[in-house]
Amino acid sequence: MELLKIKRRMFFPNEFKILFLILFFLLSISFLGQYSAFNGDFSEPVQKHLLRIFSGIALGGCVYWCNFKMWSNFAYGFYATTFVALIIVEILGTIKLGAQRWIDLYFFTFQPSELMKLSLILALSRYYSLLPADEIAILKNHIPPLLMMLLPVLLILKQPDLGTAGVLFFVGCGMIFLSGFPMKIFVGGSISALLLCPFGWYFLHDYQKNRILTFLDPDRDPLGTGYHVLQSKIAIGSGHLLGKGFLQGTQNKLNFLPEKNTDFIFTTIAEEVGFIGSVLTIMLFVALILYFFWSGSAAKNLFSKLLCRGLGLLLFLHVFINIAMVMGLMPVVGIPLPLLSYGGSSMITFMVSCGLIMASLASKKNTQD
Amino acid sequence: MRHSASVKKELHRRTAIVLYLALFLMSLLVGKLYFLQIYCYGKYFSMAEKNRIRLSPLLPKRGRIFTADKKVIAKNKRHHKLTIESCGEKKFSENLELLARCLDMAEEEKKSILEVHRSFPRHAPIVVRDGLSWDEYSKLSLIFHRLTHVSTDSVYVREYPDPLEYCHVVGYVSRSDNGLQILTGKTGLEQSINDELIGEIGAMRTEINAVGRKMRLLDSTDPINGQDVVLTINSEIQKYVFDLLAAEKAGACVVLNIENGDILAMVSVPGFDNNLISSKISREQWTALTNDPLAPLLNRTISCTYPPGSIFKIVVAIAALSEGIISPSYTVHCAGGIKYGDNVFHCWNRGGHGRVNIYDAICMSCDCFFFEISQKLGIDKIVEYAEKFGFGKIAGLGLGNENAGLLPSRKWKLLRYGNSWKPYETLITGIGQGALLTTLMQLTVLFGKLYSNNYDFVPRLLAQRAPDFLSSKNKIDERYAGIVKEALHRVCNCWNGTASGSCKSSYEIAGKTGSSQVRRLKSNEAGLNQANFPWHMRDHAIFVGVAPCKNQTPRYVVAVLLEHGSSGARAAAPIARKIFDKLMAHPDGIAKN
Repeated sequence: MELLKIKRRMFFPNEFKILFLILFFLLSISFLGQYSAFNGDFSEPVQKHLLRIFSGIALGGCVYWCNFKMWSNFAYGFYATTFVALIIVEILGTIKLGAQRWIDLYFFTFQPSELMKLSLILALSRYYSLLPADEIAILKNHIPPLLMMLLPVLLILKQPDLGTAGVLFFVGCGMIFLSGFPMKIFVGGSISALLLCPFGWYFLHDYQKNRILTFLDPDRDPLGTGYHVLQSKIAIGSGHLLGKGFLQGTQNKLNFLPEKNTDFIFTTIAEEVGFIGSVLTIMLFVALILYFFWSGSAAKNLFSKLLCRGLGLLLFLHVFINIAMVMGLMPVVGIPLPLLSYGGSSMITFMVSCGLIMASLASKKNTQD
Repeated sequence: MRHSASVKKELHRRTAIVLYLALFLMSLLVGKLYFLQIYCYGKYFSMAEKNRIRLSPLLPKRGRIFTADKKVIAKNKRHHKLTIESCGEKKFSENLELLARCLDMAEEEKKSILEVHRSFPRHAPIVVRDGLSWDEYSKLSLIFHRLTHVSTDSVYVREYPDPLEYCHVVGYVSRSDNGLQILTGKTGLEQSINDELIGEIGAMRTEINAVGRKMRLLDSTDPINGQDVVLTINSEIQKYVFDLLAAEKAGACVVLNIENGDILAMVSVPGFDNNLISSKISREQWTALTNDPLAPLLNRTISCTYPPGSIFKIVVAIAALSEGIISPSYTVHCAGGIKYGDNVFHCWNRGGHGRVNIYDAICMSCDCFFFEISQKLGIDKIVEYAEKFGFGKIAGLGLGNENAGLLPSRKWKLLRYGNSWKPYETLITGIGQGALLTTLMQLTVLFGKLYSNNYDFVPRLLAQRAPDFLSSKNKIDERYAGIVKEALHRVCNCWNGTASGSCKSSYEIAGKTGSSQVRRLKSNEAGLNQANFPWHMRDHAIFVGVAPCKNQTPRYVVAVLLEHGSSGARAAAPIARKIFDKLMAHPDGIAKN
């Protein structure tokens, strides 16, 4: 019986096909985008990126084939471990780019804040799936999840990493809201938080203040922070309907784009493929987000349902914040574009997310229910 | 089943809220994308092009200037410029360090270049050294392999082989300040025929990257070099004249060929070094030039005006003869001055010349005679003939800074001072004093017109311009012109002629002296020796003459002006005499060049 179950999971159900199709297109764009951003040269970093794509796929597969119960059972464990790692970063973390975000494990550097995104989603899903239905309306039952979200947010803010902290905050709030946090208090809380925003200004670092000021007035500092956004807008805007053509982006090729492999990869793509290509890319992301949310409805148990929606929120926030910031709709906060940006941490997070989505779809109704 | 269906329903409802919000936000992104890529495409496209394309001008070679005997007086010199392209800060300072050691650069110089690089990282290549000497160039080539981003650029600069001789004719150039840095004429011929000399600018479009590094050539248009220009000036005469005048403090000379209007020499002293002005002139040097009381920048042949003095009497004589007011037998008694109204107008010779006819009057430069006939002619007739002889308008050499002088008339008086012409003013105008101002070139042209019997005579400086006055029918009546020419011949050859002392020669010179008063003499100063006056108070000495006159039509006009030279006869005429000697020494003349 047990063997049969594993064998059944070796094969993918039909509903995965659409996920694979979306992933295939996005990962192809990812590879071609990086290839172009590295000046059309199949050099070492491009090979590394390709390797990351494949290891991401493998990792996603592993997550899928793992016993799904494990994610649910060890959710708090993961969360605790990640939280400890965050504290270690705070104490020991090596200084990189002026911010403490990495733990140097000698063979690779590892970013606990990135892992915290998944851990928080797992832990919150776990918490709410265990909360009895009649206790959801009681406010004090929401205090533990709020703390679970706020503590890492504060630690990450201290690093300082405004982007990740923000993502974590919104993912946490979103999940708490979805899980049935009393509506009136939620709305009231959101409004008062908005009103308190100006006071948060005093807790920001100078570079963060600068970015926000420059966002509000891009001409303030055309050679500093504003330069990135201006060059990015020039690149995107000069793409027109069909773009300048693959490997033909002048802003890209002549290095006018800052961070063109990482945070600004969407700019590189938009310049070369134009409006149609960019909208298609956005559509693929929308499809992936919708798929995540849909799998939440299709999942059989509450843990999976919450998990899928949490991951969907995470994906959406990343995509939206990244694209909005490269187009000058939001301040530059250093959020990578899922699957497309160069870098291992983000690739792993979202490939693991996909594995978790597939696993939730395949999970049985009675798991932890 | 611990979770009721209502919990899942609530989850479903809230998911829908979140999802719609997310979709709305994503559609905002598409909207913004449309705004950037479609709506604002034009703006961002041109910004992207401006980012990547650098338009650099390709400068043409400026046309050269030659004298009639093919001596080059303005040419181009290759000038090496050492430039360094923008690159990374570290690389840049490394390169600069190497260059500094090789070229013995001062510490401040190095700092200022670094400063430029720091403040304009995307700047076009920065000039490290403008004008590399050959020595520096060869030293540099030894270390060239160790340098990156460094290149030598060669541009052309103007070079004038004989700056002082030709500075006023040729003028000087400067680099235009519109960013193109093309050589543009500022004065003299460089300015007036700039359009011919300058050629056409080419352009090169190169693609540059974010740090300003050249990536590739997009396209280029070659420049068209400027045309070479040949002048009528004869370098030998010019040099001779210049050497004669160089000894004087301030003066000018024009040598003219009557047959075709060619200007054979045109010199003004003091001169200036136009090489210096055309390249790097310091503020101090420039201030020194412009503040020099002798005004070396002025071309005294065409830009400065002087009262013509007695030379103007030629115009009055021709006018009086042509209008039938006088005949050769008409005489006036000169008693050293005439009484006019309540004033007495003195002849320069207080003792008086006695009874004089037209010949004597010109020969001895009797003022009384001309007071008398100008009074009879009236100012309007004098102005009419003066205009015919080219006064009050520029000679039309094609040089930019020609001065038209001043020909006073009733209209001028009214416009300038708002009152009517006073009769006594006709008298002083008749002897070339008063408000009348002429350039030396105008006096030269007066003789050119008189001796070619042609009111349309024009001088020319550019060999390419045809002497088209030759076919003109606007002739001076030979009967009257002949009388004046005879009188002018006597000036130099009769015992009582004003220039007889210095102008007697075998080939025979005819001419007229003029002394133009710088200021009104006080009555007690009359007849005093001018040499006792301070230099700047002495009269200007002018002599204009023609030669050879012996049994043939004169071919050359020589006009000499010495500022504050006191006397046309004693100071200016001897110089003219020497120039004529030089001109006559040529077996068949200079005119055939």
